[in-house]
Amino acid sequence: MAEDGLASHKRDPIKSSVGSVAAQKRRQNAVAVGKERRESLVRAKRLCRVGISGDSDIPLDSDMMIDEEQSILEAQTLSAVEELKSAIAFQGKGAMQKKVGALRELRRLLSRSEFPPVEAALKAGAVPLLVQCLSFGSPDEQLLEAAWCLTNIAAGKPEETKALLPALPLLIAHLGEKSSLPVAEQCAWALGNVAGEGEDLRNVLLAQGALLPIARMMLPNKGSTVRTAAWALSNLIKGPDSKAATELIRVDGVLDAICRHLRKADEELATEVAWVVVYLSALSNFATNMLVKSDVLQLLIQRLATSNSLQLLIPLLRSLGNLIAGDSHTISAILIPGREITDNIIEVLVKCLKSEHRVLKKEAAWVLSNIAAGSVEHKQFVYSSEAVPLLLRLLSTAPFDIRKEVAYVLGNLCVAPAEGNGKPDLILEHLVPLVGRGCLPAFIDLVRSVDTEAARLGLQFIELVLRGMPNGEGPKLVEQEDGIEAMERFQFHENEDLRNMANGLVDRYFGEDYGLDELAD
Amino acid sequence: MAMVVDMDAKGELGFPYWTPVRRRLNPDSPFFAYGNIQRELFAKQVALDLTEDEKNHLQNLVDEDGRDIFCPIVGCGARLTFLEDFEDHYNARHAASCSVCSRVYPTSRLLSIHVSEAHDSFFQAKVARGYAMYECLVEGCGLKFKNDKSRQQHLVDKHKFPRAFEFFKKAHPSKKARQKHQRKEAIQKRGETSSKMEVEGETIDGLVSAVSRLSTSDSSPSSISFGRHHTRGFIFLPRAVKREHSAHNGTKG
Repeated sequence: MAEDGLASHKRDPIKSSVGSVAAQKRRQNAVAVGKERRESLVRAKRLCRVGISGDSDIPLDSDMMIDEEQSILEAQTLSAVEELKSAIAFQGKGAMQKKVGALRELRRLLSRSEFPPVEAALKAGAVPLLVQCLSFGSPDEQLLEAAWCLTNIAAGKPEETKALLPALPLLIAHLGEKSSLPVAEQCAWALGNVAGEGEDLRNVLLAQGALLPIARMMLPNKGSTVRTAAWALSNLIKGPDSKAATELIRVDGVLDAICRHLRKADEELATEVAWVVVYLSALSNFATNMLVKSDVLQLLIQRLATSNSLQLLIPLLRSLGNLIAGDSHTISAILIPGREITDNIIEVLVKCLKSEHRVLKKEAAWVLSNIAAGSVEHKQFVYSSEAVPLLLRLLSTAPFDIRKEVAYVLGNLCVAPAEGNGKPDLILEHLVPLVGRGCLPAFIDLVRSVDTEAARLGLQFIELVLRGMPNGEGPKLVEQEDGIEAMERFQFHENEDLRNMANGLVDRYFGEDYGLDELAD
Repeated sequence: MAMVVDMDAKGELGFPYWTPVRRRLNPDSPFFAYGNIQRELFAKQVALDLTEDEKNHLQNLVDEDGRDIFCPIVGCGARLTFLEDFEDHYNARHAASCSVCSRVYPTSRLLSIHVSEAHDSFFQAKVARGYAMYECLVEGCGLKFKNDKSRQQHLVDKHKFPRAFEFFKKAHPSKKARQKHQRKEAIQKRGETSSKMEVEGETIDGLVSAVSRLSTSDSSPSSISFGRHHTRGFIFLPRAVKREHSAHNGTKG
């Protein structure tokens, strides 16, 4: 089933709803196995199906999807492009109308069919014609339709997006403040798709100066343009190079706009802006530094507390996580235990832990683990919060990836900040009760995992227990939970580090004289 | 606030103790993959249509897609589809367990050596009469020895095992054995396929192939050890053994 889906439908899943058959197809496409499918799922490009609102001169098409067979569609596309070619060549009266009409037809085919015939359009030579339609002085209608066509051509496969290269300078030029808003927005959309393709195209766009004009489009308070610009920016700065992110935060008014939008914007706009913050904070130390010094931290927390939209919560949480992970200042100077902001952040993280959404639980645990990696006061604060009972429950019931993050939190709570190169000190006040509340089996379970990182964590925690539990209880507890058997598995494990760790523990704590003082009972 | 400050200098050599550190992640880290997909699915309005099951399925595919998961037990290399498969695979393939004392070995050969040496009075009788009964543990070597100590010496001299290595721990009071036995019974009561049952149900072919992979594997593990009481860093070289074997005149059998 999945493979059939791949063979016949090489395009993106459709966007609009045309009843349950389409919905089913979309689901099948989404869940199907395969590298290509996975790539198309992560594709950060967006097809433009519905016209950008705001310009009443452009008649709204009906919402009907074109339901033609692929070969018919391709034929229609070919003739549409031919029509456009002759319209461009035409010099007589009504030339403008002819051009707009031809563009509109092509645009309709590229936006109203379930799988837009992009390949056919490219083969017929659409791009150079569309570039011509973008020339300076052209009427807005023409610019809009041409940019719209280009947007959808760039929304699919890599080679299709790359075909837009000749159009980039003009698309960027029409972002200027002299352009009408819908035109600028449509151009930003097309550029957003190009940026979403990959690092190379991003670099081209940055070199051609796309960042500044799009950044400026994010400054107003509202409008669909602001949202499109924010989305395009998130694609443009996503690196892996940090330069663009650093450049963006330096643009006059951007930081202020980010704060404004996080504070007041509707959820859709706030979502796109939050994604901008995600990339700013993940890639650029400079940006992270500036963000931490502004109100952004507070605003992220506030928004996390009040919103219930998963789409918004994800980038908010992640931004928070990045700001904490990326800059020690966040924990050491701002999120100090005792302050209101610190109480608030725990509340908000608890809210995410309680969520039914796997992403939120996992990433919230990650954030907590970084807070728990702070000072002793931070550890005490987290330990006595509402988070710990939740974490313990997750440790036994949640999927593997969440359990791993929870393990990081709990372990970090039990170990003091490292000083120099010595063995970090244990915090028995946390270790003993946590073990008492039954967290050891979960760590031993991690030891049994195939995942090297998880196994390592498990062994490290076992070491804490063996070393730290008072009255020599450690070895007994570990044995009770089948810890010895779990560690013995590593005798035949191919990872030398893990083998040495496990062997070392067994040798040291379950050696010759282990259990000798136990008399048979 | 009381903290344990462990001054024990002769602690685990090089054990990487738990050290709390802030973990920073790249935006393209697989850790963030599912959240990224959520974002794009939603933009394409697909997320709204997925059922919970489909979401979970997608999550698993995303988490583990592209990462080939192989069994990490030396000589096995079996491909696993999901992380969760490892436990089942391990119990089926690598948990040859002794029905008497529940000790577990990764191959049936080692298990059978253990059973003979630890639980077979006939074996002990022959030993008492001076027969060379203690087999070299390295498959293909074929040498046998009259006592554990000389086998030990052989392992050290010829196969570079560490001096402190012990195939069997000296028997300890029954408490541990009892606990293990209790555990196994509990598992069986729960109705899960215990490792013991897996091994019995497992075809001979399966075990043999696992064993043969262990002995003929080209990728010699850098070190491997047997039994519970062992140290690090000795070399197990099946190929080396085969080379030596042909030059040997030791007792074979």
